[in-house]
Amino acid sequence: MASIAQPQLSLWRGLAGQVTGWIQENVTNSLYSLAAHVALVWITVVVFRAQLESDPLIALGIAALWVVGLALVIASAVIHRYNVVSQWLKDRLFNSAINAMITLIISLLIVGLFRQIVAWAIFNANFSADPVAAAASDHAGATWGIVAANIKLFMVGQFESGQLWRVWACFGLLAALTVVSIPVYGLFSRELKPVRRWVTWAWIVSPPIFYLLLRGLGDSGPVPTIETRTWGGLLFTLIVSVFAIVVSFPLGVLLALGRRSAFQGIPAWLTYGVVGIVTVGGFVTYTLPNIPLARGWLEYALILWPIWLGLAGVAFQQIYKGNVVAAFCTIYIEFVRGVPLITVLFMAQLMLPLFLPSDIHIENAFRAIWGFTFFSAAYLAENVRGGLQSIPKGQYEAAEALGLHTFQQLRLVILPQALRVVIPPIIGQFIGLFKDTSLVAIVGLFDLLNIANSVIAQPDWLGLRREAYVFISLVYYAGCFVMATAGNWLEKRVGLGER
Amino acid sequence: MSGGRYPTDCLPLAVPNMNQDRSSVRPSTAVPFWRDIRVLGILAQVAFVVVIVVSLGWVGNNVSQGLKALGGAQFLCDDGTSSFRCAFNFMSTAASFDIGEKVIDYSTTDSYWRALAIGVLNTIKVAVVGIILTTLLGVLAGIAVLSNNWLLSRIAIVYIDIIRNTPLLVQLFFLYFAVILQLPPLKDSLRPGLGIYLNQRGITLPWPAFTASFPLWLAFVFLGLIQFQLFFLILNRQPGKPTNRWLWPVVSGAVVIAVGWYYAVNFNSSQAVLTSRASRVAQATDVLTGLEALVIKRLPVTKLTPAELEKVDAETLAEAALTVCVLKASPSEPNFVSQIESRNIPFRIERFDRPDQAVADYAEGECEVIVGDRVMLAAERAVLENADTHLLTPIAEYPVVISLPRLEGLNLVGGVKLTPEFAAILFGLVLYTGAFIAEIVRAGILSVPRGQSEAARALGLTETQRLRLVVLPQALRVIIPPLTSQYLNLTKNSSLAIAVAYPDLVAVTNTIINQSGRSMQVIALIMLSYLTVSLSISALLNWYNRRVVIVER
Repeated sequence: MASIAQPQLSLWRGLAGQVTGWIQENVTNSLYSLAAHVALVWITVVVFRAQLESDPLIALGIAALWVVGLALVIASAVIHRYNVVSQWLKDRLFNSAINAMITLIISLLIVGLFRQIVAWAIFNANFSADPVAAAASDHAGATWGIVAANIKLFMVGQFESGQLWRVWACFGLLAALTVVSIPVYGLFSRELKPVRRWVTWAWIVSPPIFYLLLRGLGDSGPVPTIETRTWGGLLFTLIVSVFAIVVSFPLGVLLALGRRSAFQGIPAWLTYGVVGIVTVGGFVTYTLPNIPLARGWLEYALILWPIWLGLAGVAFQQIYKGNVVAAFCTIYIEFVRGVPLITVLFMAQLMLPLFLPSDIHIENAFRAIWGFTFFSAAYLAENVRGGLQSIPKGQYEAAEALGLHTFQQLRLVILPQALRVVIPPIIGQFIGLFKDTSLVAIVGLFDLLNIANSVIAQPDWLGLRREAYVFISLVYYAGCFVMATAGNWLEKRVGLGER
Repeated sequence: MSGGRYPTDCLPLAVPNMNQDRSSVRPSTAVPFWRDIRVLGILAQVAFVVVIVVSLGWVGNNVSQGLKALGGAQFLCDDGTSSFRCAFNFMSTAASFDIGEKVIDYSTTDSYWRALAIGVLNTIKVAVVGIILTTLLGVLAGIAVLSNNWLLSRIAIVYIDIIRNTPLLVQLFFLYFAVILQLPPLKDSLRPGLGIYLNQRGITLPWPAFTASFPLWLAFVFLGLIQFQLFFLILNRQPGKPTNRWLWPVVSGAVVIAVGWYYAVNFNSSQAVLTSRASRVAQATDVLTGLEALVIKRLPVTKLTPAELEKVDAETLAEAALTVCVLKASPSEPNFVSQIESRNIPFRIERFDRPDQAVADYAEGECEVIVGDRVMLAAERAVLENADTHLLTPIAEYPVVISLPRLEGLNLVGGVKLTPEFAAILFGLVLYTGAFIAEIVRAGILSVPRGQSEAARALGLTETQRLRLVVLPQALRVIIPPLTSQYLNLTKNSSLAIAVAYPDLVAVTNTIINQSGRSMQVIALIMLSYLTVSLSISALLNWYNRRVVIVER
């Protein structure tokens, strides 16, 4: 009799033993683990109750799905047999008690959030571009009319409507060049090799064409001059980013090469001689007469500028051994990298008129564009310097031994290797530059972000900030995504990580 | 014999005469100076210097002419002359503009130098708090991406993707205008729990307040830590004997700290409570019971027990409430409030700027109780000398009291308030930089070869031990340099605070430029401030870079 009754008892005992064993191993094995489990249970209960209040049906549905998944995993674990679904569930969602609870919490929160966002953006939203109709709606969701009615402003700013054909011409030219470049540089590069030179020359010749189309020439004729203040929106953002990216790249490479250069420096006697003359001269003509007039330590410090100049000269000779190029490049890079971009833009706006003679006027837009270019060149220089550092010294020496002169060495041996290695950081830098063009909003230029701000201030669409900011965020996201994809393609094309 | 080094009579005739000048036998190998790279290098350098000097001279000429056109007021000295040494004299004039948030005292009559200092301190405040929070967020997000929970890693990847692909300024505008400024007004504050209030005026959080007995307790804490360290060292010197390494040191340290707490609370009361009806309160066992009795006595319903105080309606309670006088921003307030609230005694607080004002009000009978330091009340001894009517009773003073925000009329008192501007720039920067730090942490952890983890598991280390002892030390080597440059980015990105109206360095200096008109000097000061911070961190990074760069012959 006992032998028949025993298996049942031992089955329960066995199960209880398994459960307590599992608890001992996974939950109470240490104090931290127990505390984490208790805390997580409490958080799960709190979140579940909050979701139950706000939306009982969805919360119960998710909880039911979770229980089903949990049961499936536990059953599979007990019988030690998994199928595809339960294996994936166990590996990725129900790996441990903590993971199971995290799954429930995240599901509840995410579905709640997702429902609110979709309800706001799509189901309760109003898509009419007519301000009267939009105002009449109950505003339960987004009012996308602010974007629909102002799409021209968002895209090209206040560009003259009659001259919009030029923007379309630019866009068409760009599209044509891109479409031609994809097979020539990528898919069919071997078959289309003879054409490659022509496509490259087309790219090289295109900037003046773009300039002509967008800026124009003269007051009459086919392409009259367009004021830069009418450039706005996405057009202005793209102009600034593309120009800054294209021009800062060679500048950055030059700065990196200059910083690492090992030219024979200015001989010490020359430096010390010149610096000594300037120091003593300045001291005698400025410092000595002004010492009795000075009040306060700051004035004394300013008066002694010849001394500081002398010390700077000595430091320059000691650190850089008289290599002016390296000194200039290093000081420029560290200076520009040490200040925020917004101060560079402020400097360009406020101080450039002071630095130039009074009869030269540079438009605000150009000041900002050059500010971005010089800012980006410094960061690029540091990235390229990392690449130059990574090349074995043997490559430099072999290039010299082959009798190549400097420019040939750079073009054929050094730069191809250096630039390939640092493609990811450079692409990241360019993506950052594209996003940072939004800072011109603070100096009063009308890029995509500032156009959004001005659209929000229109009386028809007053205060609809979320819709406008979500729209431009999507535009920026699309731009960054395109650049990141192009970067990935480039990495594969040059075989980064493979050789 | 021609007298040269080599004997000429025994040499064959066809051999060239070695004593002749070599240059006539072999062609000259000296490089002409116009092809010698050393000379060319120096000439290029000199040309470069000349170009720079000429450009600087041209720019300087333009600047001086421009300044002359401006009227020469840029470098005006006190005595009317214009000289370079007086370039920064204008900074001592009164600022005449107010700054919304300040860490130290500031008024509109203070100089521009003080306004600049406020800007620098505000920037440092954002940078320090931001760096701490963003490191936490970034590390958590980085580890979440690598988690084996599919949902968690997906969420983290989506967060990083969205944040890294949208500009920081757009995120700041969204956060400030479309989220924080849309919060409900004060009386409808959102209360997500833990005593946090979210409303239009800002975010109010509970915050610890340190009372006068805190230094004493701090001394005990240090003693406890020393105790902990001593125990740890002593116990672990014994080789081969398995001890529970943490139990005894932790317990002994905790005991010392607890003893210190008890001592600081009960034997170091520098708190005092005054009541007017000394006789009634003196009969009670402790002052709080006495105050309770006071309030009950004033209620129209008589013979209430203290437990039944809750059942009285709010209006009657409010009329019988105690009036308490405190000094503004004194830690005595949260200390007293936390004790009196637990007894359900209704009270009303009046705040004063100076002790003599509080005591004057008390003497007139406007408030029944003054809560404050013994030190502060000792100064008012002249008024309080009659021991029959005034009773100085100590109450327990906890070294650290959590100051919980409370709605009082039209204001929230207690806790710490983050203004909407500070909250916007702080959370915007933390979220943005956190995404980049998450990528750095992920790259760092992935850089540790998988064999290390496998070896750790083969050795029987738990997952936590594997992370702590094997993966993290190696990952940190890869994480630290880009992490430091992200900290630098956060500090520089705080300059965008001007877009959300937070008075950081750039915003304050922008106002100074607009008001004083001296753009050159002020921009030089901005550059100097940012360069000081950045160059020092950059020097550290360059030193680290030189140490780990591949060393070749």
